[in-house]
Amino acid sequence: MLASTSLMAQQKFRCITGKVSFFSETPLEDIEAHSDKGAAILVAGANKIVVSIPLKSFQFPNSLMQDHFNEKYVESDKYPKATFVGKIKEPIDFSVKGAYTVTAVGKLSIHGIEKVRNISGVITVVKGKVHLSSKFTIRPEDHKIEIPSLVFEKIAEEITVNIEMDMNPY
Amino acid sequence: MKKMKLIFTATVFFVLLLPFTLQAQTDSLLESLESELPPKEVFEASTFKATRLINLHTVETLGEGILDFRVSHRFGDFSSGIQNLYGLDGPATIRIGFDYAVSDRLMIGGGRTSYAKMYDVFLKYKLLRQTVGNAMPITVTWLSSANITTVNDPLKALGVDNLTARLAYFHELMIARKMGEKLSLQIAPIFVHYNVVKQTDRNNLFAVAFSGRYKISRSMAITGEYALRAINYKTDLSGYTNSAGVGFSLETGGHVFQVFVSNSFAINQVQVVPHTTSSWKKGQIRLGFNISRVFALKRKTTWE
Repeated sequence: MLASTSLMAQQKFRCITGKVSFFSETPLEDIEAHSDKGAAILVAGANKIVVSIPLKSFQFPNSLMQDHFNEKYVESDKYPKATFVGKIKEPIDFSVKGAYTVTAVGKLSIHGIEKVRNISGVITVVKGKVHLSSKFTIRPEDHKIEIPSLVFEKIAEEITVNIEMDMNPY
Repeated sequence: MKKMKLIFTATVFFVLLLPFTLQAQTDSLLESLESELPPKEVFEASTFKATRLINLHTVETLGEGILDFRVSHRFGDFSSGIQNLYGLDGPATIRIGFDYAVSDRLMIGGGRTSYAKMYDVFLKYKLLRQTVGNAMPITVTWLSSANITTVNDPLKALGVDNLTARLAYFHELMIARKMGEKLSLQIAPIFVHYNVVKQTDRNNLFAVAFSGRYKISRSMAITGEYALRAINYKTDLSGYTNSAGVGFSLETGGHVFQVFVSNSFAINQVQVVPHTTSSWKKGQIRLGFNISRVFALKRKTTWE
């Protein structure tokens, strides 16, 4: 039993097909985008977590929005990924099944601008696998995402982000 | 033979320019995560800003469900002088058309240009899509168009005038690469077929078109294109020249506005590539513009 726990302490979990979506709601227009290419590694013992999301993988209701998102808002040629590098504050026993409400503190980098954030989520341990789910908000302004004056899409001051990831040991 | 060499050199030049990338990260765990990812399915965004650059098509097709209303206009020759306000008084040509994307890869379109009163329909299909991370380094798009002139008795002098005699076809395989944030290049072998031509012309023509754009801001780009007609077309007898253009493109929301100078008076590719008669050397260039306004007819509701 002890042996297996210490083994778990070294354990890494990974996901490369995580579902990431975001929503922008304004009176004028609601915009949503989805990606299934969110990637993350969770190091069990160190409670370290890294997340990387390729911005060009987001699918929008129409490709015009997708174009504007990439070229005008996040400038994905210059800054291709949104990343998070952080540490989970609460101890988690990865050998015990259950849902843990956790908070990760770390650097969220979007559009080349890093922000130290506390992001909360739920980590569910099931049969040696881990499910990560999180919902948080991003302010485009915090990441110097300017809204060009001549575009159609009106985006919200706060964007809601949802992340759902099934992570496997690797 | 000289032309053959030029085509070859230009092709080699383009191919050599193809591969290069860059990356930067800090955290080692993040680095290892990203290096292990198979990024092959993330497609590169916007190699070009629009489906046309100047006179010629780009590899771009519209996103599924998008309708594009296009107006293209070419003024008269600069060489016509101040009395004619350097061609702004005309004579001018205009094309009005619509494009619609059936899927993210398949686009259909049609229009009419005043030059030779020609109607056109085309089909454009994205065969390959460049991916982020170079698993697929290029975007390849096929275009075929059928064109019919409705000028009264255009071929009376040739003694034929029936439906088939009025038809012309254009086929093109466009190969492009987004070289980085700013630069995109395209090379496109072209085949043109006219069912009936003047005796000095040929029915079939091969050409290679080179196109490029360089972004100078998030919304603006400098553009250029050159269509090089292959050997064996009776250039001297027919008095045709290669088509070339340089321009500027501006995108504002749903509009793309392209303004340029070109030696071609026609707008439809099937006329531009083989039958450009005015020459840059003689100052026979003109101002032209394309305006594109897109409408999203369909909203995606299911997510892969």
